[in-house]
Parts: sequence; C-alpha cells; structure tokens
Amino acid sequence: MSEATRSPVEDGAAALAITNLSKRYPGGVLANDRVDLRIRRGDVLGLLGPNGAGKTTLVKQIIGLLKPTSGSIVLDGHDLVADPSVARRLCAYLPQGALPLDSFRPTEVVDLVGRIRGGDRRSVRRRAAELLEALELQEWTRTFGARLSGGVKRLVGFVMAAVWPASLVILDEPTNDVDPLRRRLLWRQVRRLADEGSAVLLVTHNVLEAEQAVDRLAVMDHGRIIAEGTPSSLRARSRHRLRLQLDLSPGADSPQLPDLVRDHMRVGRRLYLLIDERDAVEAIHWARSLAEDGLAEEYALGGSTLEDVYIRLIGREDALELAGRGES
Amino acid sequence: MTSYSIAPERAAAVIARGAPGLWVRSYYLMVVWELQSLRIVLPLALVAQIIFGAGLVIGFGYLVGDIPVTEALFLATGITVISMITLGLVLVPQVIAASKQAGVYDYMWSLPVPRTASIAASLTVNSFISVPGMALALLVAWLRYDLTFSVSVLIVPAALLTLITAASVGFAMGHAIPNPMTTSLITNVLVFVILLYSPINFPADRLPGWLATAHQGLPMMHAANVVRAGLTEGLATGVGTSFAVLGVWAAAAWILTAWVVGRRS
Repeated sequence: MSEATRSPVEDGAAALAITNLSKRYPGGVLANDRVDLRIRRGDVLGLLGPNGAGKTTLVKQIIGLLKPTSGSIVLDGHDLVADPSVARRLCAYLPQGALPLDSFRPTEVVDLVGRIRGGDRRSVRRRAAELLEALELQEWTRTFGARLSGGVKRLVGFVMAAVWPASLVILDEPTNDVDPLRRRLLWRQVRRLADEGSAVLLVTHNVLEAEQAVDRLAVMDHGRIIAEGTPSSLRARSRHRLRLQLDLSPGADSPQLPDLVRDHMRVGRRLYLLIDERDAVEAIHWARSLAEDGLAEEYALGGSTLEDVYIRLIGREDALELAGRGES
Repeated sequence: MTSYSIAPERAAAVIARGAPGLWVRSYYLMVVWELQSLRIVLPLALVAQIIFGAGLVIGFGYLVGDIPVTEALFLATGITVISMITLGLVLVPQVIAASKQAGVYDYMWSLPVPRTASIAASLTVNSFISVPGMALALLVAWLRYDLTFSVSVLIVPAALLTLITAASVGFAMGHAIPNPMTTSLITNVLVFVILLYSPINFPADRLPGWLATAHQGLPMMHAANVVRAGLTEGLATGVGTSFAVLGVWAAAAWILTAWVVGRRS
C-alpha cells in the first residue's frame, strides 16, 4: 500500500493505534471523548463498560461504519479514517446485533465469508471445519440459521469472524446467549486468534470471564477510557481490601456505616462495602449485629475482585447488572 | 486437535488493494450470497411475480372489457414494465428496510467487498427474478387476447435499462431513508401511483395535461415506451428520447446510490 497512508503516530509493535478519537453524533451526543487505545499483535484487549459507554460507537469507527469527528485510527500503518475500505479488508468483525444467517447453513455462510475475506476455498473449508469442531457445533453444521438457537448463532458468527485471519479481530459481545461450557471453548479460540498473530479487541460486559481471556483491559464510561492495564494491575487497586456484602431486610434503610468502610455502593437491597483486611473481624461483628437487629438478612465477606474494581470505577448503581451477572 | 493456522499477514495480502479480479471475485461471491439468502423466499417471490404479471394481464381485461388489439398490446407490454418497475421501486427498498430492521445491514457493509460490486450483485439477482413472471405475462396475453408480438433485439437493452433504473432508484431510497417504516409507506404509495397514474398501460394523452407533462420527465412512461419498442412493431414512437431519459435517470440514481452507500455518518 502507498506510503502516503502510513502515519507518523505508528508506535512500536502496536497493530492498532487509536489517538485522541472523538465522535459527536449529529444530535449532539458526545459518544467518544478523546479516546486513546493501543493493541499489539498477539494481544487480546478487553473493552469493558456499561451500556451506552460508547464501546460500539468506537468499534463502528474502526470498521469504517461511522466517521470520527476528530482523532486518528491507524492499523498496521494504514490510516483507517482516510480509507475505510482498508479497514474492512484488515478487520474481521462480529457485531453485537443480529447476523444474516437465517437462510444459510453454518458451513455455507462461513465458507462464503471466508472467501469474501480473501480465503481460498480449500483453506477456508479446512479451517471452518476445525473451528466448528472446536466449538462443538458439528451437530448443527447443516441446519438452517433460522432454526438455530441464539447461542449457536452467536458461535457461528464467531466462526465467520475467525475463519480467515485478520490483522484485527473485533468481537462485540461474543458470549451473549452462549452456554457456559461453550463459552470456555470460545475463550480458548479467542486466545488462539491472538496467538496466531492477530490483535483482538473484545467488547464485553462480562468482567469476570473477560479477566481470564484478555491480556489487557480498558474500562470505558461516558465515552472515555477511565482505566487501562493488565487485569492484575487493575486488581492491585484494591489489594488488601475485602468486600462485605450485606442483604438488607425488605423496607430497611441503609444503616449508619462504621468508619472502617472505605467505599460503599447499594444496588437494590444489596449493600457492597469495601473494607481493609485488618478490619475484617470488626466488620463481621458489625454485620452480625445488623442481622440480629433484623436490619439485614444475610452477609458475606470475600476477597475483592476485578468486578469490585470495575464497579467502583463506573461508580453507578446500574454497574453491577452490567458487570455480567447472569445471562446477558 | 490439529491446528490449521494462517498468518494474518498472508491473509491480508490476498485482499490487498488492487489485487486483480477483486471486483469480479466479490461480485461473484455476492451473487452467491444473494441467491442463498433469498432461497427461502425465492420460490414464493417467483410465484408472486408470475401471479402478479399474468394476473394483471387477465385482471385488467375484466376492468376494461372487450379491448381492441392495439389496446391489448399496450396493456400486455405495459404490464411487463409494471412488474419490472415495482420490483425495483418496491421490492428492493423493502428488502433493504428489512435488513435494517433485522440489524444485519451494518454487518453486510463491514465485509471487504467493493460496494458497487455488492449492489451490482443484488441488481443481477433481482433482475433475474423478474424474467419468468414477464415471460409468462406475455404468454398469457398471447393466449387470452390472441396477440402477436414482434420481439426485436431492442428488448434486451430496454429491459436491462428499465430494471437498472428502477432498482437503482429503489436502492437509493432504501439506503437513504433511515426508518424502515417510512420506506414501507412510501413504496405503498408508489405502487398506487405506478399502477393507476402512470401512462404505462395506457397512452399519456388520457391523463390531465399537467400530469402528462410531468411524465415526460419521469422514467415510467419512457420505460414502457422502450420495452414496447422491443416487443411490438409500430406502437412506440420517440424511442431514442425515451432511452436518453431513462439513461439519465439510471445514471443519477446510480450516482445517488453510490454516494449514499459510500458516506459515513
């Protein structure tokens, strides 16, 4: 490709470099606000954030479906803002929404997409068969899409994105509706894409699962990246902290919190409190007294997780539901 | 498990810009895509086209009563044009609206296919759907009204240009109108206008003067004229002008479509 499309912002091994990217919709909503993001080849970056954080807007600008208001997106040295057709050639994309599967059998649609993405028939078939087997989808390879369950459709969508390698693979909520067993198989294949040399951008709500599958995490809220790092570096923010979870009795007001509480959040009747390890005994004592007075039904003390970090970062009541509790 | 890996560099190189035959390859694959994605509705779409074409020929006969040969020829040739125009102006935008509603619109545009190749593939497939219906409509007219057609080679460019113009306008509408409900309403009104207020089945001089004048600049009457020139002898006049007007509409619609699908909001 021509030298003119190469950008000076290309840094080191980053396959994808997003710099100072902002997107304001015609209605005036600022969906992305000065976003900086780098993904290296071989890395999986998890992009976390509640609904409306601006994740899908970001993805659509990378793939060339939306035009940024300002800022740059460079992939393998190519300016994707200037030439979105390059983006479509270099990226594989699993969108958050529906896929056009209804009148296809999985093998057919995977085969077509693989060849549209540049693959030769033999290689595409071979790889498709292998991916379908790895995700244990053999049972459905000849079933029309209209008759597939939501989870199986989602997995077929993943195979469509993975069947022919791309510089950047964008997976927007790949595990939606997927059963826990196949989720694990799916994470393994996501990992494999990165190991083969792709950069992978994984958009998800599911904090705990993402932790196992990603190399780095970026947390997005209100259009901005509010934290970024490896899962353990993010978790280190609450080292030596514990989580005290308190289920209040119906109708009970939030109790007066003792001084040992470092941070707290209430979601419905459930109260999450962050405390220091050394205050554990005292905190349990306090919680037990609430239970004895009938103010709380149950309490539990546990290690602080990435989920806690996420909830504190987002700092909103709805964050928990969006943190991948139950099926999304 | 044996692992079959392909380096992303190698994969990207295959579809690098300027790879020879990319457009043709994309076009071919998108034709396959269109055929496969239509196959559930394809038999029904064909039957609908056939019923529509043949049904209109017979139905209009009841409406008009005993008709002289010239009128019957006008009617029969006009109906093939109606089925071509409604396919482009109604079916095409509705298919696009449906894909927007199903949420698959963005996915289709994220594939590494030149957009003109994708539209051309869709045009090709949609055009072929209309052929059996048109042929049968003419057959029915021949049997029912005892008409003889004189088919000339002119029918090929005439039908192609009609199909391309109608489908291009349909594409531009489908892509430009964001709300699928709006698309559906507009196409419903269009069917009505095309069926009853366009000089396709009848001569323009039956219309009020202002409407007849308006049709001088609109594509419907001209489409009927060129198709009629390809199917009959002595019925069509000013065929050159009609081709020119249709050509301008086709070009304008194509440019508009290319602009609409090429822009990013």
